[in-house]
Amino acid sequence: MNPHDWYVEHRVDFVARTLDSDDEMSFADHLRRCDECKAAVQAIERDLAWLPMGASPVTPRPGFRHQIVRNIVGGRHAVWRRWTVPIALAASVLVALGLYVPERRESDRLERTLAIRTGELTSLRDSLSVMRQAARVLQASISMNGQEGGLLIFADDVSHRWNVVVHGLPPAPPGETYQFWFICADGMVRGATVISQGGRPVFFTLGMPDEGGPVMGAALTMEPKSNRSPKPRGKELAQLTL
Amino acid sequence: MSADTDHSRGRSGPAVTSAGDGKRLVILNDRTLRQRLVARDEQALVELVEVATPWLLGVTHAMLSDSGDAEDVVMQTFVTAWNRIGLVRDDGLDLVPWLLRIARNRAIDQLRSRRRLQIKTNLAGALGGLGESVTPAAEPNEAAQPGWHVHETVKAAVGALPDDQRIAIQLAYFRGLTQSEIAEHLAIPLGTVKTRLRLAFEKLRVSLASVKDWNL
Repeated sequence: MNPHDWYVEHRVDFVARTLDSDDEMSFADHLRRCDECKAAVQAIERDLAWLPMGASPVTPRPGFRHQIVRNIVGGRHAVWRRWTVPIALAASVLVALGLYVPERRESDRLERTLAIRTGELTSLRDSLSVMRQAARVLQASISMNGQEGGLLIFADDVSHRWNVVVHGLPPAPPGETYQFWFICADGMVRGATVISQGGRPVFFTLGMPDEGGPVMGAALTMEPKSNRSPKPRGKELAQLTL
Repeated sequence: MSADTDHSRGRSGPAVTSAGDGKRLVILNDRTLRQRLVARDEQALVELVEVATPWLLGVTHAMLSDSGDAEDVVMQTFVTAWNRIGLVRDDGLDLVPWLLRIARNRAIDQLRSRRRLQIKTNLAGALGGLGESVTPAAEPNEAAQPGWHVHETVKAAVGALPDDQRIAIQLAYFRGLTQSEIAEHLAIPLGTVKTRLRLAFEKLRVSLASVKDWNL
């Protein structure tokens, strides 16, 4: 008996699955290499194909057939259903994002504009409050290169601030600038550099200086830009005394 | 019969015809049904499930002795068949026998993986007639059961075997015992079991030749 005879002898046993597991694995491995046994096994399978029908049929419980079909077909549909919600959600997010980004940009721009306008309004209100509450109004005329301008001070003794208006002045010559000074008991104290705005009035609000003692008046000079000293060196254009 | 006629008959459900000495139920044109399944025709699946489920449950219930396990195996069988129908070569094996083979193999795998030898041999000790379930199962309505003629023919073929061969076949084929397990259970030499099974299968191959080409 050669090794192949063993496989020939056990073909039916392999089909019926009555071999022990080791023999069954050995036979399966042999089948992959032996066309003769493979064909013989297929023939036996066909001959005994209906043998399982010897078992009595069992009536399925109600709904079991439907459950089988639903399990298979429903599984196929479930693949689509499984993706429907995520796809819809993703699409919604994309649409919302597409709408949100430009809206968000516009909203940010409007917020920035509103903040600027609010700041300007607050500043104007503040300036107006200084003017309305001013206990004293001082004025001086200025003549520059044939132009008539002036210096106007609204002094608010409550908030201790001055609202200053400089108007009608020509642009400062190159290398020079208009300079506003406080005249204090201990001397002159720098107030603010006035930058001419092409003939338009220049408004600014100043608090009282911390140094120099009590404020006694104000002056406007034309100073060289190079002057960094605390004292005026240029030409005096106007002087006001409280 | 044209293919169209077959197809329309298949879609309209089982067609009952009479032939010879008994009731003969020709359910479907097997090749057409296979083609429809390959084409993912869900109605074809419904028809196959309708026809094959009682027989698959019969095999798995007899082997596993548990309704839940039997249903699980049948469910897996249909899932496997549905997924592999397009990959399996049409080698002449009909659909229902193919399903029976899948179900029986899965049931045997389950039996062996769960090492339920002791349980099944105990149950086998109370073995009654071929195909009788160990636990009570719903009685099928014979008149409405497609394939009943095949069952009767197979049952008669097995019943015609000598007692020792019939018992060996029952234990081996319908209870899923290996030759070694049968030898141990019957307390007879392994060689005797092999001889009995070999003789029994030889006779069955001959006696079942007449049903080989049947359509269920």
